[in-house]
Amino acid sequence: MKTILSNFNKAFESRVRLGIMSVLAVNESMDFTGLKDILAATDGNLASHLRALEEAGFISMEKSFINRKPNTSYRITEEGMESFRSHIKALEELIGNR
Amino acid sequence: MNQSNQSQEDIKVIRKLMEESSRFLSLSGLSGVVAGILGIAGAVAAQLIITRISAPADWYMQPLAGGPGGLRTFMPLFAEMGVVLVLAFSGAVLLSSRKAKKSGQKAWTPVTRRMLASLLIPLATGGLFILLTAGTVPASVTAASSLIFYGLAVVSAGKFTFGEIHWLGVLEVITGLVCLALPEYSIIIWALGFGVIHIAYGLFMHLRYRG
Repeated sequence: MKTILSNFNKAFESRVRLGIMSVLAVNESMDFTGLKDILAATDGNLASHLRALEEAGFISMEKSFINRKPNTSYRITEEGMESFRSHIKALEELIGNR
Repeated sequence: MNQSNQSQEDIKVIRKLMEESSRFLSLSGLSGVVAGILGIAGAVAAQLIITRISAPADWYMQPLAGGPGGLRTFMPLFAEMGVVLVLAFSGAVLLSSRKAKKSGQKAWTPVTRRMLASLLIPLATGGLFILLTAGTVPASVTAASSLIFYGLAVVSAGKFTFGEIHWLGVLEVITGLVCLALPEYSIIIWALGFGVIHIAYGLFMHLRYRG
């Protein structure tokens, strides 16, 4: 049980963070608007969770201009992918341990 | 127990988001049926045009845009193929946006753009290939290339939508290769590839995914 809990990542406890990681795990990159549409989150809420994940080193941010409009896109880091994988494993083990 | 329920719910959310964010799930099965009906109509029209201009019995061995009369004789065939393509594509766009609206999803998303890009690159290449070779290769090869390039485009776009679409593409490529082997049946095979297969697939997708 101890090992399961150590893989159960506190950083992914929030549904929005879990959502961000799920989307970025299967998409090379996704911009802010894309994430907002899929997760149906508010700007402020999404931004704060994105910042937290970025500070943890799980995702990286890239700012650019598309048609002179600023565009922020996010991608998952190697570390983020690894942590997310072990988090899913921990979830599955928890279900199995019922 | 509570933690386990929570985890189960989490896994469900993860699965759903992974699928929704990486696949275009608004693709309407009915648009396959519409494309298939248009494909059969197109093949029938092609046969009528060939009879009407009293093309030689071995017309399929002659270039569509070559020989005596060349492009002028076969121009109606090209025009007709173009009309079928445009109508089928518009039908797919219309029915799919309707399906997206019904299920409260957005049709125009980053995945949609990725899917269209991977569809259009092989499709546009095929279109140019057909136009550039129409004067030199037998008509049956032109018919076969349209099936093969379309099939490759569908395989490539299939990565961004329902998994079954991949096999639709593979089937179209095989049909195109069969068309190369049996040139005298070009029109029937073309009707099978763009017509019958689309209708069967469209009905299957419509029943399976309701819409």
